[in-house]
Amino acid sequence: MSWRRKDLLDIETLTVDEMRLILDTAVSMKEVLTRPVKKLPTLRGKAVTMLFYEPSTRTRVSFETAAKILGADTASLAVAQSSVSKGESLLDTAKTLVAMNADLVVVRHASSGAPHFLAQNLPVGVINAGDGQHAHPTQALLDIYSLREKWGDVAGRKVLIVGDILHSRVARSNAVGLTKLGAEVVLVGPPTLLPPEMAYLGVRSSYDFDREIAGAHAVMALRLQLERQRSGLFPSLREYNRLYGLTRERLAKAAAGCLVLHPGPVNRGVEIMSDVADCPQSVIETQVTNGVAVRMALIYLLMGGGAVEDVVA
Amino acid sequence: MLWLKNAHVIDPAQGISGIMDVAVQGGRVLKLGQGIAAADPLGGGEADVTDCAGKYLFPGLVDAHVHMREPGQEEKEDIASGSRAAVRGGVTSLICMANTSPVIDNQALVAFVQERGRQAALARIYPMAAVTKGMRGEELTEMAELAASGAKGFSDDGRGIQNGEIMRLALEYAKLTGCPVVSHCEDEFLAGRGVMRRGPASAARGLTGVPAAAESVMAARDVLLAGETGGRLHLAHVSAKGTLAALRAGKAAGWDITAEVNPHHLILTDEDVPLTNSDFKVNPPLPSAEDRDALLAALADGTIDMLASDHAPHTWEEKACPFAEAPFGMAALETALAALWTYLVRPGKLTAERLVDAYARRPAERFALEAGTLKPGAPADMVLFDPDWEETVTVEGMASKSANTPFLGRKLRGYPVKTWVGGRLVFERKA
Repeated sequence: MSWRRKDLLDIETLTVDEMRLILDTAVSMKEVLTRPVKKLPTLRGKAVTMLFYEPSTRTRVSFETAAKILGADTASLAVAQSSVSKGESLLDTAKTLVAMNADLVVVRHASSGAPHFLAQNLPVGVINAGDGQHAHPTQALLDIYSLREKWGDVAGRKVLIVGDILHSRVARSNAVGLTKLGAEVVLVGPPTLLPPEMAYLGVRSSYDFDREIAGAHAVMALRLQLERQRSGLFPSLREYNRLYGLTRERLAKAAAGCLVLHPGPVNRGVEIMSDVADCPQSVIETQVTNGVAVRMALIYLLMGGGAVEDVVA
Repeated sequence: MLWLKNAHVIDPAQGISGIMDVAVQGGRVLKLGQGIAAADPLGGGEADVTDCAGKYLFPGLVDAHVHMREPGQEEKEDIASGSRAAVRGGVTSLICMANTSPVIDNQALVAFVQERGRQAALARIYPMAAVTKGMRGEELTEMAELAASGAKGFSDDGRGIQNGEIMRLALEYAKLTGCPVVSHCEDEFLAGRGVMRRGPASAARGLTGVPAAAESVMAARDVLLAGETGGRLHLAHVSAKGTLAALRAGKAAGWDITAEVNPHHLILTDEDVPLTNSDFKVNPPLPSAEDRDALLAALADGTIDMLASDHAPHTWEEKACPFAEAPFGMAALETALAALWTYLVRPGKLTAERLVDAYARRPAERFALEAGTLKPGAPADMVLFDPDWEETVTVEGMASKSANTPFLGRKLRGYPVKTWVGGRLVFERKA
């Protein structure tokens, strides 16, 4: 199949074939990452612009690295917090970037739908690098890539997503993507962070981590935003860790070889214990490497694509 | 002398729905009846005759909930542009909400709004005054003087009165005026920073939700306070099933309570909200389908007394941003009647008679306005309505300064084609 999209905004709108094309393309890209000279001429003369309205180092550097390996120039605009009241509107900022001849814009924004809004209004491609509580498609794709790398296929596997489901764009995009590829997803968290309306995802929800971990093939621990405690969503880190922390004892109840994932940055001792984060079953660091490969694949496909064999040969 | 022949006249105050002729003289309805003969002594002089066959004649609509934005936010709307929008939508009397800048909380501002309305000289413009000074929810306004100056009710609409004791005192003190206290029911702790109704639709969009209870708990409080005080309460923009339960209980107990619903809450639901179109962002937010159906049933059975537009214009610049950052509110004066007709009357979900009852007679009665009926002697505020007139809602077509309506781009069927205020033609729709 060939790639036809201008933008990558969420997982919902991707077909299974499109997801597979991205993941397969990323396999070739990952091979490039193992070379002594990590540089391709493919996108020489193209410009990729990062527009980050939320503080982020990991994701921004991952995108920049991906674009640079492909030979593109990058520019970065870190805007402190959202554009709500003062200053230039999001639309005007984005138009300015296009006027500077950006060929692709990577956006992270605290408001759900901001990348979709830009995509509607800009002639160039937009990649969603995380919008509010809505979607984080590149994170989901790199997580799925990491699982496929170990398993070959995610179909039929039981994956737990544990933590603050309500506020998590990572949980949403992963639940949608994994389900599309045939995995069994179970959402786990306290009732205040896993309210009934999350049933829209069409996957099972549970408050009982100890029961659900039995037979799990992978556990994805979500980063807990510590300020949620002040909003009364959970009483203490201590109790949260007791009920939903990924410990050695819990992991022992999972299926043999159960993989451990975390989108980072990790709160060690809160949602995941240090020994688990660093254990052989943990793919947390591999996720970071795979993130570059997956983002290379996406930038490549969105900027014209073509047969990937010609590029990486 | 104006002589309208063969119109389907709907006037619930007189129990009329049928083909009739209407004669108007001196700005008032002179006579109506079947086949007024040419020889009838109509007061002499030449008659201006209009054949209205195939069209309805309604009393001019009365809209108890309009944000005219003047003074202070004239970039969104002013009383002149809002008046043009009103008559274009068939609204001939309306009450302006007090959340302007400055807030309508003193006699001079009440007079200002009325004066601007007289200058615009289209619809009849009445002021609502604030319940509390500066709408801060702390001290009551000088209600007696405000009502004597022409305020038709009291409301801090735009914000709920968080302090129950202040609301109780308002219901008590407003007895001096005979005017209703209009409650914008919204518990700010429950509403939090929500931007649409809480439920699967908000979860799917990653947008923070407002639980339906944010409205219903305050509605229940205010209903109980109306019962305890014997005060006169009107609930603005009812949008949740839980609110209806409180409303039914209060009415069954015989308390002095009325309520309104906005057309968009009867037509659209949270599932219709597009992530990238903030014209669908409104407070209270669009309801679940279940609540929408309950609202429609409550309007039909009279639990909800009236319709009101909650016309809330905002500029393009304010709305051209991500959903969570846009202000709440929809421009509605020009589309309310056409949308109600298209989506509710035409498919048989609401009768034309109940629509006119709820959008003309009831609000006029509740807020003591001389309007809402075509009884002989009443002001000749009238709408000639063509049920087959089709028109697409466009930015260019708007008389309002703002075009933030979710119906933009939709073709609606059933529009006012002529509007009269006091017997004077103030609007005529042209193809």
